[in-house]
Amino acid sequence: MKRFILISLLVVLGMPMMACGWYGTDNIYLFRLYDSNEFSERVDKITRDNWKAYLGSDQDYYWFDADEIIKAAQKKNDALMVSYVKNLKRYLDVCSSVRDDSWKYPSKEELAQRNKTLREVQAYALSKVKTKLRSQHALLYMRCNMVLGLNRDNVTFWENTASLFIETVYKDMMKNIYAGALYKTGRDAEAGELFAEMGDYNSLMTQFYKRRSFAAIRQEYERDANAGVLPFLLQDFVNNAQEAVDQDLEGKLFVRDIKKEEAMQMAQFAGQVIREGKTKNPAMWKAAQGWLEYLFGKKQQGYDDIQQALNMDGTEWAKTSARVIHFYIKSDVAPLNDAFDKWLTNELQWINGGEGPYEGFKGGALTRAINQQLVDKYDKVGRDFTTNALLNITSNYAYEARINSMKVERLEDFFTYTKSPSDNELDEYLKGQMKISPTKMYELIGTKHLRVCQWEQAINWLQQVPVSYMAEQTQVVYAVNRKWTIEPWITRQWLKDEIEYSNEKQKLKSNYKLDFAKEMLAMEKEAAIMKGDAQCQRYYDLAIRYAQASYSGDCWYLTRYGKSWTDSVEVNEANFGQIAKQLLQKASQTKDPVLKEKALFGSCYYYLNPTPWYESVWNNDNSRFEIVYRPQSAQFQALLALEQFEKSNKNGVSAIVSNCDVYTTFIKRNK
Amino acid sequence: MIKRLLLSSTILLLLACQGKQSPMKEGNAVYYWRTDLRLDSTERAFLKQYHINKVYCRYFDVVMSDSLGPIPNATLKFSETLPAGVEMIPTVFIVESCMHQKPEGLARKIVDRILQMNETNDIKGVREIQIDCDYTARSRMFYYQFLEELRLVLSTFNYQLSTTIRLHQLSMKVPPVDYGVLMLYNTGHPMKFMERNPILDIRDVAPYLRYLEDYDLPLAAAYPVFLWHRIIQGVDIEHVATAEEILKVKNAVEKEREELKRSILTYDLATDNINRYKPETYEKIYSH
Repeated sequence: MKRFILISLLVVLGMPMMACGWYGTDNIYLFRLYDSNEFSERVDKITRDNWKAYLGSDQDYYWFDADEIIKAAQKKNDALMVSYVKNLKRYLDVCSSVRDDSWKYPSKEELAQRNKTLREVQAYALSKVKTKLRSQHALLYMRCNMVLGLNRDNVTFWENTASLFIETVYKDMMKNIYAGALYKTGRDAEAGELFAEMGDYNSLMTQFYKRRSFAAIRQEYERDANAGVLPFLLQDFVNNAQEAVDQDLEGKLFVRDIKKEEAMQMAQFAGQVIREGKTKNPAMWKAAQGWLEYLFGKKQQGYDDIQQALNMDGTEWAKTSARVIHFYIKSDVAPLNDAFDKWLTNELQWINGGEGPYEGFKGGALTRAINQQLVDKYDKVGRDFTTNALLNITSNYAYEARINSMKVERLEDFFTYTKSPSDNELDEYLKGQMKISPTKMYELIGTKHLRVCQWEQAINWLQQVPVSYMAEQTQVVYAVNRKWTIEPWITRQWLKDEIEYSNEKQKLKSNYKLDFAKEMLAMEKEAAIMKGDAQCQRYYDLAIRYAQASYSGDCWYLTRYGKSWTDSVEVNEANFGQIAKQLLQKASQTKDPVLKEKALFGSCYYYLNPTPWYESVWNNDNSRFEIVYRPQSAQFQALLALEQFEKSNKNGVSAIVSNCDVYTTFIKRNK
Repeated sequence: MIKRLLLSSTILLLLACQGKQSPMKEGNAVYYWRTDLRLDSTERAFLKQYHINKVYCRYFDVVMSDSLGPIPNATLKFSETLPAGVEMIPTVFIVESCMHQKPEGLARKIVDRILQMNETNDIKGVREIQIDCDYTARSRMFYYQFLEELRLVLSTFNYQLSTTIRLHQLSMKVPPVDYGVLMLYNTGHPMKFMERNPILDIRDVAPYLRYLEDYDLPLAAAYPVFLWHRIIQGVDIEHVATAEEILKVKNAVEKEREELKRSILTYDLATDNINRYKPETYEKIYSH
């Protein structure tokens, strides 16, 4: 999971880089009335089962292999099947070569050859529609027509011939092609009903893409109160309404924006539909009504309506949606008490139980409810462990962020909580579902002690973490290739691209965090009893380590799991940069001019000073940035101290200082 | 001996005086970024009115497939052709992740596909290919290697190669191409839309102006005329670069590098974009 955090952080320009990422709100749709791949999955499964039966195999059949089936047919002396599969293969080969998005773009000759092949297969298939494999051949004939654009031929063929065939999966597929042909020849309403009847929602989306609206829903309802396209249109409307309400700062380029007025018209209309009593799926309409009301601010009305929806008839999808929406709304509006905990436990068991088409839907709804309702609800009453547990059982990214930022003592308590029995039914249930890795906890708790300079406690936890675990962390490449003993104000430890982005496994010899904690503990103890220049030197050495282990240091991996240009000192973390600066100021009291110069120079380092010594201010009049000095800033003061020291430095200005562009710019500031 | 030396020096001097011919012709151009090449009357009139002699037309994208590696996607359909006299420049957008590892053989595949697309659809007079990729420090090395390979393949057909250059890429080593098109759009942070227009704000361009003078690659300039529609916190937000901002940026970049007046593009050709600005604005954008 640390890899997850690492890669989710933004890039820092000119510094060790990580990939970009952004998390918006969890706008998982809560109103779902069908499985969008229902038709294709059903047809695909039956077809595969048919081939499996023909081959007499007991293995599931996944990939159509014409040659294998031809061999089997030849063994059976099934000449008709042999010729059918040979022609089917010719058709499929053309289709795969017709696909626009392969590297091999067709030539004119290939396009002509494709048409020729299709016409040959089409003629062959038509000649066999009275054989015992009539359905298969008829389907092949219609498929060829479809690719050749002969939609009217397909309409005629279905209406006069194929529609009279016995019910098979091949007939279903022909009917689907027929519906497409109807659409392409202007018979939209019939096409829509057929697509809906077959559960081909992808085709419905193509057909209705530009017509989706409340007006379209009302029109379809008035035409037929149980029209097959209504679940599709209603689901699309409600989910787009949810999109419009959700706060997604990434923006939504491909959704229809639904305004409150239209949503409220829809909600009222749903109520009217139920009152009219013509619908066979009242749960669908009532759930839509409750959800729209809630989304657009009428929370109590939405809650009342969704409670009613729970007791209404409807399809399984509609009833599941009603319960899921009820779960979400109640999570918001109901008071938190023992009864709520009990109800939540029951609902969690329902959501997490069972498999099938509803599992992913219910899981998504749970994630949304946790993120948007339950986290705040339990945090507000101080039950943050329950919140953590809820986030943990849903593998929520917020879980990692929370345990990463909480106080170390609190995390230790949480770790204890996960291992201890509880009187509360909800907590007990959650503990049974949580996935906690002890090693990961040891490592994180140890790291959090590092962040607050508690070296001894850090050592206690980190010594339980094996090197093999540390070697698997994404930031190990930096740990292996960088040193915390190098002054960051003198040398930056850039990694070559071929090292930084190498896929080769890094060879880690020891637990670097443990090593660091031990070294810091020893050095600080010694520093406390040292005197004079030796103590100043020790302060300087400690400053290097604090600067390196800060979020802006090259060795950020000691205290962090990722790096970003947006980084700053976080809660429950000591300000390592500030400590480094204080140590440098102490070190600069030395009588050794070389050490003094280095300490003063280090104090000027950009990353140890919260504000730079000058500001670039945009001037609209001349379209230029202009420099404005900040004499009060810490960096300005540090540079001034260095400048004054250098004026009387008997050794002369060292190359490190004289080569520094910041310093040379600074001393020219008034010239 | 002295005569021979003199002659050699004169030849060298003459060669030096002749200078290197710029690979980038002066003129006006547009990007075409739809999936079906079909121009309405407004778009055709626009090409004529503003003397657009080149269309950088997105032929396809290259996206990363877990199982197949880089694959083409959203291939252009050629329902129509460009008006006579307008040069087609096939442009391929490559998703940055394709360059996280060495894209073996990709250059050849792209060239072969473009050539075949041209032949099948009777596209004549193509002399150049452009690659658009938002390369970063992570992908730069493989991207440049890919461009080298592509340039080598294209040299057998005497084709030029250009690439898009985003502002943040100006601080990197120049790519191995004949010229770059400096993308003067999408300059801001999409999340900070209340402070600055994410499509274009002179304050986001300004920090990069200092790189322009010394950037060692011929550059054309591309300006945004598109609309970016978003719904943020339930509110419709439409981002459009104002005419004033576009022209302010144009003045600023041309002041730093006069060459940017030579070849000018807008992104992208579409009737709504044409109608969004007054003709005077387009005249000013396309002024050399």
